Amino acid sequence: MGGSRSVAQRASTIGPGAGTAIGPEAGTAFSPTPSHVSTGSRRALCLWLPTFELRLELVRSPELDTTSVALLSPGESTRRTIWQVSERAHEAGVRPGQLVSQAISLCTSLTLLEPDPAHYDAAVDTMLEVLTEITPVVEPAGHGRVFLGTDGLDRLLGSPSRQIDRALRSLFRVFPSPLVAATRAGMAPGKFGAWVAAASAGSGEPVVVTEDQLASFLSGCPVGALPVDPLVVQRLERLGIDTLGALRRFPEPSLIAQFGEDGKNALAWSTGRRIDPVRPWHRPRPIRASLEFPNPVGLVDTLHGALDRLAERALSRPARRGRSVTGVRMGAHLEGGGSWFVESVLREPTSDRERITAPLRVKMTMSPPPKAVETLILELTSFGAPSVQTGLFDRKVEGGRDTGGYDLDKGEIPPTLKDAVKELKLRLGHSPLYRVVEMDPWSRIPERRHALMSFDP
Amino acid sequence: MNHRPTLKPLGQPKAVTVRADEHGEPVHVRIPGRPARRVAVVRECWRIDDEWWRRPISRVYRVAVLDDGKVITLYHDLLEGTWYVQRG
Repeated sequence: MGGSRSVAQRASTIGPGAGTAIGPEAGTAFSPTPSHVSTGSRRALCLWLPTFELRLELVRSPELDTTSVALLSPGESTRRTIWQVSERAHEAGVRPGQLVSQAISLCTSLTLLEPDPAHYDAAVDTMLEVLTEITPVVEPAGHGRVFLGTDGLDRLLGSPSRQIDRALRSLFRVFPSPLVAATRAGMAPGKFGAWVAAASAGSGEPVVVTEDQLASFLSGCPVGALPVDPLVVQRLERLGIDTLGALRRFPEPSLIAQFGEDGKNALAWSTGRRIDPVRPWHRPRPIRASLEFPNPVGLVDTLHGALDRLAERALSRPARRGRSVTGVRMGAHLEGGGSWFVESVLREPTSDRERITAPLRVKMTMSPPPKAVETLILELTSFGAPSVQTGLFDRKVEGGRDTGGYDLDKGEIPPTLKDAVKELKLRLGHSPLYRVVEMDPWSRIPERRHALMSFDP
Repeated sequence: MNHRPTLKPLGQPKAVTVRADEHGEPVHVRIPGRPARRVAVVRECWRIDDEWWRRPISRVYRVAVLDDGKVITLYHDLLEGTWYVQRG
């Protein structure tokens, strides 16, 4: 690898064109972390593989490398749009976000590829695995971006340049050279600084920003790099505030008055005051249930039925007991190769089959699998805090199947809950449980809407 | 043992100290147990006049953004002249 570049080269190239991860997706990496999480690593290394998913497809089908290729957006059915484009397609005028019809009219020889999320997830897992050999503080940020916490690595690996070199060499072990050669690397205090540094770096020319240089380095960065609501960025640009240096000139109360929390955060990032440490990523092991069809299935009704069965199986797994579900993912291996996935974050933690499957059914109806399904997969991906209390509301498994929850409004009281209340009454002399009941839910006076009613079955 | 169910209303208002300007707009808010905060902006404002037939209610609600970015819902009780913060 070449030596790292100084910060003299500003982050002037960052913008919607260069930074596909900029925008709301980029914001996920910078969301606040709960206070109970450990502090993580202050110094961050960002590795970014632009158009990661398309490059993976080109590695899989090298014959497409010299043609105009575009990857379709995942999760859309009626109005398919372009997600990522190759250099040749870009030269022909094809851009991410264009409708397929527009793209084909601009480039008649365009090859369109269906996304294969399972393949991309597997590649990310491989990448994370090799990077954890360098540091345990590894945090993926989606779309080919990963942050490494590098605090304390100096004695082990040497200078920042050597640390970056080591990280890239690790990637060479698992990915082909053309893929890794396109990687941009940037190191700075905090994830935002590292991301800006990586986005302004060239292939093989990492950018390293020290603590003292951070504020001046960020001043030339365009406001489009801020991980805030895109509408805020648009408004800033319309007001003629193009760079973080220009943003810094405004007093904090004015920015808060105009943009609320986003304004406050934008100022903190632009001055280098806000340093988001890299935090080790803990991925909960998902509970997975799958169903292989004897013949590929294309009928949505059949898939809905299969989804119900999978939800029952996943919910009745011992690993789920005592935990409510907050996130689910449904996927499929498709006939003739390829995969399809939809995800849903549940409004409230639940262990009710119907509440878990309903959002997935809607998503499946809106964006059905593009081809017939060979294997349907359901994953319970995130869970509420482990608690014995959620188990109180579960119906006992009958004949190996979970038959859903009890309806307290209809007077159904789970025996486990009755026992728990009896025990509490013996200990405390009264039942300390309450239920939330609706009083006058449409009242204009907030304190009239709901109340707590003592619960003593 | 008493088995009569008891009810506790949710979303009860909490009294706060507010310094208002000459137009009655809140300028500083002190929520008990927290430092006083300046009101950066009032996002929304509406009035409720209700229940005149029993115990009249007359409130002006404001959704305010404080200088630390926190968003709160305040109301000014026009009958008592006092300020409250309320959820919901």
